[in-house]
Amino acid sequence: MRKQDIVIMANKNLWRRKARTILTCLGVVIGTASIVVMLSIGIGLKETMERDMARWGSLNIIRIYPGMQYDREGSPSGEAKRLNDETVAELKVISGVVAVSPAFEVNGEARLGRKQGWLNIIGMDLNTLEDMEFSVEHGRLPSPGESFTIVAGSQVINQFWDERAARSRGGFDYEHEQQDPAELLNQRITVSVNNYSNPQNIKKYNFTVVGILDDKNMDRSWQVYGSLDDIKRIRDFMMQATSGGESGSPSQMPFKEGPMVSSRRDPRQEDTSNDYNYILVRTKDVAQTKKVSSELRERGYNAYSMADSLEGIEKTSRTIQAVLGGIGGITLFVAALGITNTMVMSIYERTREIGIIKVIGASFADVRAIFLMEAALIGFMGGILGLGLSYLASYVVNTIAGGYIQQGMMGGPGGSISVIPLWLALGAVAFAIFIGIASGYYPANRAIKLSPIVAIRNE
Amino acid sequence: MKPIIQAEKIIKKYRMGTEVVSVLNSIDLNIYPGEILAILGTSGSGKTTFLNLAAGLERPTKGDIIIDGHNLNKISEKKMAVFRRRYIGFVFQLYNLVPSLTALENAVLPLIFEGVPARERDKKGRELLKEMGLGNRMRHKPSELSGGQRQRVSIARAMINNPRIIFADEPTGNLDSKTTVEILNLLTSTVRASGQTLMMVTHDIKVADYGDRIVEMVDGNIFNDEPNGSSGLPPEEGKEKKS
Ligand SMILES: Nc1ncnc2c1ncn2[C@@H]1O[C@H](COP(=O)(O)OP(=O)(O)OP(=O)(O)O)[C@@H](O)[C@H]1O
Ligand SMILES: [Mg+2]
Repeated sequence: MRKQDIVIMANKNLWRRKARTILTCLGVVIGTASIVVMLSIGIGLKETMERDMARWGSLNIIRIYPGMQYDREGSPSGEAKRLNDETVAELKVISGVVAVSPAFEVNGEARLGRKQGWLNIIGMDLNTLEDMEFSVEHGRLPSPGESFTIVAGSQVINQFWDERAARSRGGFDYEHEQQDPAELLNQRITVSVNNYSNPQNIKKYNFTVVGILDDKNMDRSWQVYGSLDDIKRIRDFMMQATSGGESGSPSQMPFKEGPMVSSRRDPRQEDTSNDYNYILVRTKDVAQTKKVSSELRERGYNAYSMADSLEGIEKTSRTIQAVLGGIGGITLFVAALGITNTMVMSIYERTREIGIIKVIGASFADVRAIFLMEAALIGFMGGILGLGLSYLASYVVNTIAGGYIQQGMMGGPGGSISVIPLWLALGAVAFAIFIGIASGYYPANRAIKLSPIVAIRNE
Repeated sequence: MKPIIQAEKIIKKYRMGTEVVSVLNSIDLNIYPGEILAILGTSGSGKTTFLNLAAGLERPTKGDIIIDGHNLNKISEKKMAVFRRRYIGFVFQLYNLVPSLTALENAVLPLIFEGVPARERDKKGRELLKEMGLGNRMRHKPSELSGGQRQRVSIARAMINNPRIIFADEPTGNLDSKTTVEILNLLTSTVRASGQTLMMVTHDIKVADYGDRIVEMVDGNIFNDEPNGSSGLPPEEGKEKKS
């Protein structure tokens, strides 16, 4: 029997009982639609959450903090790892790692012309900035070898306020206007820091802003970034133990200074005053981030990445999808029983006809093909219509519920709650067809087993 | 001449609950190519049962049916469909057309299962239905046809793939006497024209008279087996006798 004849014959048979076929299809329509809509909501939520996550920090960057790694019960596991050049060298050779930059971080009062504010300055290996996904909206990134040039996050400008202007306007204005980040470009910022042990000892440093970061990564919008050496110099000054703040060679002093060492938490530990505040590791992609960060934790590092939180989100969204998909699955299972029922009924009605076609030469394969094709067609039609219904439902969910959620969430381009990717659409129809065929299998075998003679004698 | 159908010691028993009913008691019969054989018997004598066994629709309790050298007992149920398609055409008392299909579609049904392309089989079907006098009824459903017309469609269906043997079980059982004559003339003349073998079952002596040879069955036994009294008569004369 030719394939097109099987399709034609099956199709003809189906439409002999229009109402019943339509009702059976309806079961598949609802089943498919509920699975697709449920899964699409799971997918939509995950996509939205991922997008939000990425705005709070790159998913390809791991931060390593000093100190112990703590297990779930809160007890320290392994030795505390030091963050020094040896560490940097160790990290660089881990597979999946693209770049490594140590970082020093200092805070200080800052002045920008008449405005004043508070500045968080991070020193990094300027060679790695591009690899660390720094990109500027205005100006450029500081070049390696430069001194006291910085790139500022997009919100840094908003940390400065003009006290006098505010006072003349009658008090402190809490909600001062958003200022244009570009205003900061090529400006000079003066930062004052004092020595920890001698607060009267104050030093001022002048920085030139050569670039403003774009606001892709909100994690960086409140900081300025300069060279590792500059920031280390400031830090060394702040940590100097000598009173009076005499000049010296701050970068070498702490090695020899006894008091510094004793001020550390663990007196047995070696001198760590030159250790970095943290180290940034850039990986190839999210998958590598997860792999590398868990490897780092295994090695005892206190590693953290946005991708780790993503794992939790993924797990949650997988659970949501499993539950929702399960509900749809049950619906589709009931629909499958409907198909089987319809096919069995149809075989009862057509017992005689099945006998006839067997007598005149329909093989087992022909009979099976006709019945499986009928069941598959029910699945196919139900799947297509169900998919149509899903798109409609998805649209409704996104317009109605989507509006509420966008209002509820702080700013940002609101994601869709329900997303139907192509694979889901195609998969749903394929699955509906599969359900049809699977449901038709038992009835088809019954049809095959009908003895032609009994079938003909019937009536 | 080598028989096209050999029935050897055919026994058929049915189990009805605890009772065993013996329907056929060791039947031996040879049917030769080109023969028109009528099986005559009263109701319940086992005619239909024998025909079904001979056509491989049912299996004998004991004994062998050999068609053109193939022992049907050695052909699996699965392969039997293909075998029937090649060797056998059927004409039933109740026509057994598929109600949802048109006359043409019913007539070409065996070719569909054989995998013949639509154009080719429709051409063949039209020609055949025209020969059967149904040139203007091709698109009619069985329910829109008279009994005689339905039986013509079913004869066309039996003939369409040109099988070696035609089995007919009371082909005129539901028709009036005028139509009976028409149908029998049509059936026997086409069978003769294409050199096929016809095995026809009937309880009507007038119908049996169309056969070259009449086998009479009584209670599952062959009671009498002889050439038709007017054997040797060309079919034309046979027809004249009936009309
Ligand atoms: N499947 C079956 N189960 C039990 N008994 C059967 C079965 N088929 C036929 N019989 C019995 O076998 C006997 C012969 O039946 P069969 O149909 O061959 O008769 P027949 O000669 O064709 O009669 P008719 O002229 O009425 O069609 C009957 O007594 C019938 O009851
Ligand atoms: Mg009978």
